[in-house]
Amino acid sequence: MAVKWLEKTIARERRALERARKRFVAKPNEKRLHDVRTTGRRFRSLLEDVASLAKSARLRRRVKRAAAATDAARDATIILRLLESSVDEGEGALAQPLLERLREQERMATRDACKALTRMRFPS
Amino acid sequence: MKPERVDLRGVENVDELVERVLQTRLREARELAIGLQVRDKQSLHDFRIACKRLRYALERFQGLEPSLEQIAERLALLQDALGEAHDRDVLLTILPPTMPATERRLQSERSELVERAAALWRELEQMMRALDSHRT
Repeated sequence: MAVKWLEKTIARERRALERARKRFVAKPNEKRLHDVRTTGRRFRSLLEDVASLAKSARLRRRVKRAAAATDAARDATIILRLLESSVDEGEGALAQPLLERLREQERMATRDACKALTRMRFPS
Repeated sequence: MKPERVDLRGVENVDELVERVLQTRLREARELAIGLQVRDKQSLHDFRIACKRLRYALERFQGLEPSLEQIAERLALLQDALGEAHDRDVLLTILPPTMPATERRLQSERSELVERAAALWRELEQMMRALDSHRT
């Protein structure tokens, strides 16, 4: 009974990750990046929780690689937004080079994440 | 940090599976809650990841046990606070030394966020104890 429930749950979360991946690849943006990361983390967490009952080492590694492929894009986006909202008024000009660097990192990292996730698929 | 392996040997039904996963993830989070006292970047990060694993497990199982929903919601708030503190840690490592006012602001926000996380964790401990005693 537990195994049957588990198989269904794994299949459902796998489909959710595949949907999120397709959406991100079709039109990469901040919201879709967040969605693909969150569904991936949830799925990985499920696979780790039940690793002793459902053997899925290869799938776990793939989900982990997919998440890692989006780390740089997420980091650049979050840090950029935080810096934009926290720069002290008197230090605005000093922050410009860092802001520019982060914008460039965000653009490049999102493009790389999109490339990587185009190749990784999670069909049921 | 690798998650602790959940021992599911002999599990016969979904209730037992839920119980074992939650016990393991809760134990993991409690062990790493020391990070709220140490307050350095790595300890807080490890605790945040353990909270994330516990929260995902709670959310996954709340359809089977609705009493978990409230705990999962509080845990999401705690995780948000720790996540925002972590973002400040990351930004502080790359912030130019020529921006002391911004640095002070980020440090102060970080302290407030960690305080908020500590308060939420105390609240969560009470909620989880109540849930434990209700179950036993």
